[in-house]
Amino acid sequence: MSATALWGWIVLIALGLSMVGTGWRLHGLLARPYRPDRAQPRGRGWRGVLYAFTWGMMPWAKESTRHHFLPYVRGVLFHIGIFATLATLAVSTWRSALPDWIAAAGLALTGIGAVGGLIGILMRIFDERLRALSYPDDYASVVLVTLWQAAGVAFWADPQWTATFYGLSALTLIAIPLTKIRHCIYFFFSRFFFGLFYGRRRVLG
Amino acid sequence: MSELVQQALTAFEKSLDRRLLAALEVCARCGICAESCHVFAAEPEARNAPAAKAEAVRRFYRRLHDPLGRLFPWWVGAKDLSEADLDELAEIAFGACTLCRRCTMNCPMGVDTALIMRAARAMLTAVGKAPEMLTQLADAAIAREENLEFFREFYIDQIRELERELQERLGDPSARIPIEKAGAEILYVALSGAHTILPAAILFHAVGADWTLSMFEAANYGYFLADLQRAKAIAKRIVDEARRLGVKEIVLAECGHAYTVLRWEAPNWFDDFPFRVRSIIEVAAEWIQQGRLPLDPSANPEPVTYHDSCNLGRNGGLLEEPRIILRAVVQDFREMMPNRAENFCCGGGAGLVAIPEWYEKRMRAGRRKVEQIRQTGAQIVAASCDNCRLQLGDLSDYYGLGIQVSGLMDLVVKAYLAARERVQAPTLSIQAAAQARV
Repeated sequence: MSATALWGWIVLIALGLSMVGTGWRLHGLLARPYRPDRAQPRGRGWRGVLYAFTWGMMPWAKESTRHHFLPYVRGVLFHIGIFATLATLAVSTWRSALPDWIAAAGLALTGIGAVGGLIGILMRIFDERLRALSYPDDYASVVLVTLWQAAGVAFWADPQWTATFYGLSALTLIAIPLTKIRHCIYFFFSRFFFGLFYGRRRVLG
Repeated sequence: MSELVQQALTAFEKSLDRRLLAALEVCARCGICAESCHVFAAEPEARNAPAAKAEAVRRFYRRLHDPLGRLFPWWVGAKDLSEADLDELAEIAFGACTLCRRCTMNCPMGVDTALIMRAARAMLTAVGKAPEMLTQLADAAIAREENLEFFREFYIDQIRELERELQERLGDPSARIPIEKAGAEILYVALSGAHTILPAAILFHAVGADWTLSMFEAANYGYFLADLQRAKAIAKRIVDEARRLGVKEIVLAECGHAYTVLRWEAPNWFDDFPFRVRSIIEVAAEWIQQGRLPLDPSANPEPVTYHDSCNLGRNGGLLEEPRIILRAVVQDFREMMPNRAENFCCGGGAGLVAIPEWYEKRMRAGRRKVEQIRQTGAQIVAASCDNCRLQLGDLSDYYGLGIQVSGLMDLVVKAYLAARERVQAPTLSIQAAAQARV
């Protein structure tokens, strides 16, 4: 078995562990009671939910993101980079068969994400307010994901970096349910509840 | 772990539903919420950021529910809850957060910090760490129901007195303030004092509404305590009365939290809730749109601005109705910036205004609101919540704003009485001329 194939298996095991962990997190959430709002709605809940996941995520939709336009856009790019790195992992086995434009897009998107992550690390270190809110887990999580994206960049640039990319992918996958990265699991629920609440009350949507 | 802490944690676990758990888990500690909070805007210290306030709950939540929080608490900022933490949490949950949800609107994750603070309030109330004044006010409301016979006669006497005032103001001896009228369409639930009864009575009379006044007041201090039992007991008095009288609709006085309680929460508390619940603001806006109220905006010539109550506006959806009213009853309406769902809390919400020892705290918290008002150049600030009105009046005195604070219905009544006088004046002069001819 080649080293790359071995790393491939490690990633698959990490993916399995990540899914088990995520499943455990989801079970913990869904085992809790859901208290539906029985009051007569003023508006439509689904419109609020739609808003919460679309227009409501735009940088101009909220006062906070209008004020912090660049940091918010940085965050968006960082997260786009994460999705691109995940996609990179998914197609990595077929790297040599992929057209050049996909490799170029992968390189650009993971690169943008890594830069976004690096700025995020610096912000967390140097911004007094962010520092006051941060724990070691916050720094470690953003460092890990940034390194993973950087490994994605390296992977697209030179397949020699495949083992490094796989190693960091395995670490990131395992970290998802355990560390602060798990907010990605709860994000969908939180935005759903947010949209439903304000949609039913005809405040948003 | 002390018994008190154990008791607090048991209460917390009861609150821990899916919404709360998602709100506790999802925060990425990006800090983008900070400026959206009026407390932070007034005192920009890291501890005043909503995310930092919620950490007071998240710390012990992670210690209990997160694997890394159990194994390596220092790594994820987890901490055992102590009795000293409970005191600190009381300062935060009751004194530094008005549950306005402005941070929720501004959070990219939609973290419901108000929900987290309500869970904190519930556990603090359960262990007797809630502000005493709020507990006393809630218990007094419950006691009133238990001793209703004792209060009834006194209350009815007061209302009859008020009825005479109503008749005098309208010049109409047939004007009534009905109480306990079975089969009435509307049960109007006022606040303590005449200020929310008389304007509503004038307007109900003007449109010929079939209404009756509730024996109870709309305020619900149990809700501020996040004490479901107390809140339910206080709301139940009104729900039972509405059932007993067979009304179709409960109409609430201008009160923010009463609207949240009876419009949005109470239907979840009672299996049988066959009434429509509206604020008098919605009702008055409807009458205005239907042309049922003659109005003369020249009765309110001063520049007027509107303060959106968090409970009615951002959290209740009553964003346009107050504006429909104001455009019809005042001559110079000026919007505060920002407004509607983005409006800032006055700083006195969620019971803070009732806690005398936190006066300075709420004056500081209202600083952003003062700036907003100043920018409008308005002489009158209309607010449709009694707590907001109290706070705005105090802010005006404290910061020398020199504004007058008014309820929406007071402005409607002024415009209505002026229009009524204008219509009656020619009629009266024709009658006088006819009498002179005779």
